[in-house]
Amino acid sequence: MLRRTLAALGRSVALFVPVFLVATFVTFALRSLSGLSPAHFQLGESATPEAVGRIEHQWGLDRPFLAQYASWFHDLLTGHLGTSWFNGADISALLADGAIVSLSVAGFALVIGVVFGSGLGILAAVRRTTWVDRAITGVTTVLSVMPSFVVGILLVGVFAVGLRWFPSAGFVPADRGLGPWLAHITLPAIALSFDTIADLARQLRAGLVAAYRENYVTGAVVRGLSPRRVFFRHVLRNGIGPALAVLGLKFPNLLGGAVVTEAIFGMPGFGQFAAASAQRGDVPAVQGVLVVSIVLVVVFNLIVNVLLARVTPAAARGV
Amino acid sequence: MLRRVLGLGAGRVALGVLLTVVLLAIFGPLVAPQDPLATSTDLLAAPSAHHWLGTDYLGRDVLSRLLAGSRLSVLGAVEVVAMALVVGAVPGVLSVYLGRAFEWVTLRLVDTLIALPFLVFAVAVTALLGNGIPQAMFVVGLLVSPLFYRVARAATLAVARSPYVEAAVIAGASVAWIVRKHVWGKVLPPIAVALAQTTGVGFVVVASLTFLGIGVRPPAPTWGGVLAADLGFLSYQPYAPLAPIVLIMATVWACNLLADALRDASGVAGRALVLRRPRFSGGSRVKEA
Repeated sequence: MLRRTLAALGRSVALFVPVFLVATFVTFALRSLSGLSPAHFQLGESATPEAVGRIEHQWGLDRPFLAQYASWFHDLLTGHLGTSWFNGADISALLADGAIVSLSVAGFALVIGVVFGSGLGILAAVRRTTWVDRAITGVTTVLSVMPSFVVGILLVGVFAVGLRWFPSAGFVPADRGLGPWLAHITLPAIALSFDTIADLARQLRAGLVAAYRENYVTGAVVRGLSPRRVFFRHVLRNGIGPALAVLGLKFPNLLGGAVVTEAIFGMPGFGQFAAASAQRGDVPAVQGVLVVSIVLVVVFNLIVNVLLARVTPAAARGV
Repeated sequence: MLRRVLGLGAGRVALGVLLTVVLLAIFGPLVAPQDPLATSTDLLAAPSAHHWLGTDYLGRDVLSRLLAGSRLSVLGAVEVVAMALVVGAVPGVLSVYLGRAFEWVTLRLVDTLIALPFLVFAVAVTALLGNGIPQAMFVVGLLVSPLFYRVARAATLAVARSPYVEAAVIAGASVAWIVRKHVWGKVLPPIAVALAQTTGVGFVVVASLTFLGIGVRPPAPTWGGVLAADLGFLSYQPYAPLAPIVLIMATVWACNLLADALRDASGVAGRALVLRRPRFSGGSRVKEA
């Protein structure tokens, strides 16, 4: 078992190393493509070319492109994302603050999505072709067409402004009390989770219904196994693969959706930082956001791949 | 195919809604009852005969602003789809025929593109490469192209292995002839389904970006912008966000409905083909071997 898991991990890492290299290279190339320079921050638009050249020399921007890339990538591997053009602050530290906010929301959204998505998907599959199934299909269809910012606005309108059950904006770190922390992230997390709930439920239902049609499941039923045992031993393990894979693809969406929900709920997260830095033209900060989100996505997909290898019998046999 | 889609109730409704939105995008600014940029002293007014959907915090007519904003939404969605189609579907088909090197490189690129959170990238790129929805949609189209790549590749692989295509190869048919004669017909239905879905994504992304105020200059009317303007005054006008929300959701819903209708009409095998377990998250490697 352990060897198989390690093998899956090795294969996934081999798959993700080129992904990481290409993605970070594109991120680095954004600065050259944008033509932005830190000189605009320090000197304004009317700077002389000599002054601009001096500033760019200080930042090491007059070196060859590949030399800049090499030192940038080296810093990246040691955890340094550079300093902001805007205020000279350490980007890693700025991002760490924002990442706590965004990961709280995205993580909680993921939990909600997994709990409700798998609950609805399993229920629909077990009660397939009944009214329960049709009702769940209807609900997931509605959920899937509600963009997160629409849900967010409705939630703010009803639960924060109308009923006053939740705060409408802001963020409180978990170490200042679990209750306030949960209260602040609940509405944004719900807003983000709809898409995950809908896709996971649909994919899980399809996978499980397909598994129920397999001969070995019919065989298990004929052998007199209890429905519960049939479900957990045979149907779930064989039918869960596509749903897990979809979950892996959902994570980038959760991070991306954070940009919008954070704006609605006024949270000082990752997405707000990205939007603000981007509008200021603070290239290193934007690159930092992109690199961190790439890393998060890659790590999350590694986890999903290993889970896939452990859970599904077909993957375990190396099929 | 269009006739069969129109034969389905869902297909008629979906096409009807989308056609309306497109007509609004073309003629909306002409039929708008008022100037979408004109302010008035009638701030945050409730719907009335004069302002059918009320006014916003600057006294601008909401209906006129929504009508005027529809053009940007439709153009943005079309750009995403066109971009994704060219960058995704064409290499997807070619990846089966142009040899292993091309296949390997495109698969790696697709793996990479899918790892990038497209909203974050769209925000970053619009700001760095020029503030405009066209720039943003260019990037979003690029980042959703893996869906088209996979769909086109899966359909092409399926055809390429079928006996009649093998027979054609043995008979000496050229790749171009096979693609034209056999592959296109099989690739188009699943691509059409992906197209409809992606159009919905495009509308959501345009609305999200304009909601954040990215890619547009402030007085310009957009769906997302109308929504954002309403948001600050929820306690005065709790129902104000409903109009843009209904408009955005109806459009996205029509796209999804059209995708389902296309799937039913063309007999594309369920979602399995569209959301086939992707290579990125586990080994479909063996399946393709």
